[in-house]
Amino acid sequence: MMAIELPETDVVVIGLGASGGVAVLPLARAGLRVIGLEAGTWMDPGRDYRADEVHNNVRALVTTGGKAASEVPTFRTAADQVARQQARHPMMNAVGGTSIHYHAQSWRLNPWDFRVRSATLERYGAAYLPAGCTVEDWPLGYDELEPYYDHIEYEVGVSGKAGNLRGTLDPAGNIFEGPRQREYPMPPLRSCDYLDHMLASARAIGLHPYRGPAAINSRPYEGRPGCAFHGYCDRGGCHIRAKSSTDVTTIPKALATGNLTVVDHANVRRIVTDNSGRAVGVRYFRHGEEYLQPARAVLLGTYTYENIRLLLLSRSQGHPEGIGNSRGQLGRHYFGHWDAQAGVSVAALFPRDLNIWYGAIAQGVMVDDWADDNFDHGGLGFIGGATLHAYTEKHPIAAAGMNTFGRVPRRWGSQWKQFVAENAGRWASAYIQTNTFPYANTWCDLDPDVRDPHGDPVLRITSGPKVNEPRAAAHAAIKMIEWFRAAGAIEVTGGQGGTGPALSTHAHGGTRMGLDPSTSVTDAFGFVHDCSNLGVLGGSVMGTAGARNPTQTLQALAWRTADKLVDKLRSA
Amino acid sequence: MSKPESPDPQRVTDPSRRQWLRGSLAAGSAALIPLVNSGCSTTPAPAAVSALGAATEAVLAAVADRLLPADALGPAASALGAVAYINRSLLEWNQRDLPLLQNGLLALNEAAHRRHGRGFVALDAGEQDALLMALEGNTVAELPEGSTLFNRVHRLVLEGLFSDPWYGGNRDFGGWDLIGYPGAVLASTTDMQRLGQRLAPLHTSAYGSEHDGH
Repeated sequence: MMAIELPETDVVVIGLGASGGVAVLPLARAGLRVIGLEAGTWMDPGRDYRADEVHNNVRALVTTGGKAASEVPTFRTAADQVARQQARHPMMNAVGGTSIHYHAQSWRLNPWDFRVRSATLERYGAAYLPAGCTVEDWPLGYDELEPYYDHIEYEVGVSGKAGNLRGTLDPAGNIFEGPRQREYPMPPLRSCDYLDHMLASARAIGLHPYRGPAAINSRPYEGRPGCAFHGYCDRGGCHIRAKSSTDVTTIPKALATGNLTVVDHANVRRIVTDNSGRAVGVRYFRHGEEYLQPARAVLLGTYTYENIRLLLLSRSQGHPEGIGNSRGQLGRHYFGHWDAQAGVSVAALFPRDLNIWYGAIAQGVMVDDWADDNFDHGGLGFIGGATLHAYTEKHPIAAAGMNTFGRVPRRWGSQWKQFVAENAGRWASAYIQTNTFPYANTWCDLDPDVRDPHGDPVLRITSGPKVNEPRAAAHAAIKMIEWFRAAGAIEVTGGQGGTGPALSTHAHGGTRMGLDPSTSVTDAFGFVHDCSNLGVLGGSVMGTAGARNPTQTLQALAWRTADKLVDKLRSA
Repeated sequence: MSKPESPDPQRVTDPSRRQWLRGSLAAGSAALIPLVNSGCSTTPAPAAVSALGAATEAVLAAVADRLLPADALGPAASALGAVAYINRSLLEWNQRDLPLLQNGLLALNEAAHRRHGRGFVALDAGEQDALLMALEGNTVAELPEGSTLFNRVHRLVLEGLFSDPWYGGNRDFGGWDLIGYPGAVLASTTDMQRLGQRLAPLHTSAYGSEHDGH
């Protein structure tokens, strides 16, 4: 059966989620004709989003499903094992993608994250680089990305407080952040008693707490309302569009130019290249028909796993091992926050009701003192560290499933009933998010056995053990315990919630950016080394994971790649 | 066995709710968002079918009522609708747990017979607790996956007790009242995030007024 060949367009963007949904805006504004291919479709806040823990967290109706559910990667922890398919993909398909249901903590990486290798060599020497670690300096520094971070904060809509305004430090913000050219467009999200108390307690023990940035409106912004703090942000969509997901921000703006066409339910199977190796278009299925969409350039903005898989599957004479794989680098340098493995959550019991039922995960207080290279690592045996995050939004099932801190003999029965009746509203948890780096023992390739419904192999993840990241997380967990104690917690327990390596919403690498094609897949602007009209968007291009959520960084990179593509197509 | 027609919440559409959502969006201000969901919505049909069958469901209820017994603080798990919730989940979105519960609860009942000459339901509370502790500790010889069964039932009972009453558990908001969760709202105020005192119950469901208490 022949594919239906469509008229050529300037740019095809594959995936309209957090990254692709941003890239379409600078392209469309530049007057390029853009076709956005999205495997899902538009979500309807009135129908799809609920203030309901069963809907969001038990059944995962917003966070999973669609095409992603049919191509769940397999996983193993060593090359001599048979990889097994994971039960559930933490990904879904929709216009807006994962930005619909993420916590919307919206960060700039620390300047250190861009030059971990050289900074470590300068300050500590080569012995401090972890064994087997393949980390390189990024091909760009924080200063080069700063204007794009600024674009995202203003075009997507981010709330926060500057801690470093053109070099002037303000302790109300994060004094460890890199210099920014201007304030956030909106003040931080509303605080509350618990967070004010945590903030004061951190100050009292010499830390530098601040209210974390969020891609959530703290007040009406660009026609969308401010956050209503109903407490079902985690794994749920926003019922009032206060969360700045791309389906309510950059994608509608791009559509308003008249230059973007959104094609939903588009299941992309291959990126097509010509004999010279250049990308000439995309093949996709939609409602049972196969289409060929020719384009002058292609931007690949699915999730990390599908970015890698689609490049591996798109074999041709010019790219016999897949596009971008002529040096065997495709799928290498894959890593993420799960590498901390344990100690990622600390729970504390207080002697009074906290009333953090409502709020949002991003309604939080952060501490960066033990993250990045913000402290002297001499003698500690690791590099990097972790941010500490105290937050609100406690759902009732999760609240009742609390750690009992050894105060009752069992987690059931009358004594337990009395315990949760008193304490389900009196405990809080904090999140420890760790700097993580790529290692030679961790990579992705195609699974030899497991296939998707189209007969294509799914991705296979091999993730070996790490030493540096668990140490950094354990160090930070001790600091979090100290913070909770200072805040008056009567019980604190660390090490809860560490699940170890698995599929993750913070999957980084696999198509790493770099100057050297023998250690990277994409160039300094995110274009594939040997296919220069194919750009890759998303966490897969990142070379380090900061001690913080990746979305704003991959969005800034996506905008920068799109800007570069505008230049390329104009000069062509 | 045919599945009863009970609505999937994902598919429920509620024109009145969507209407005011549009209204508040048009106004572009959170101040207009009602504190609670005042729209009406489709009430789920009570499940007419027992996923486990009556006898096994009775064992489940007896287990659930030891996990959360009736006492001065309030009713037991089954009276709060936990078993009704689990039944609905097994019929709809949680069918993959059916074999574990079906086989496991049957084996638990047989283990009770072997030890006491009576089924689990007929044991006294002390005997039930002893068997459940053994199950949790994975020391019931007939049940090599005993702790898996225990953990799964424990989790499902928690869901049944503390989920939105729309699903059939947390009857009359008894679960949420027990732990002090006021209710599902569409917007919260700073006064709802004060330290130190338990909030007054709101008795509100995410699915509208039929579940706003009686």
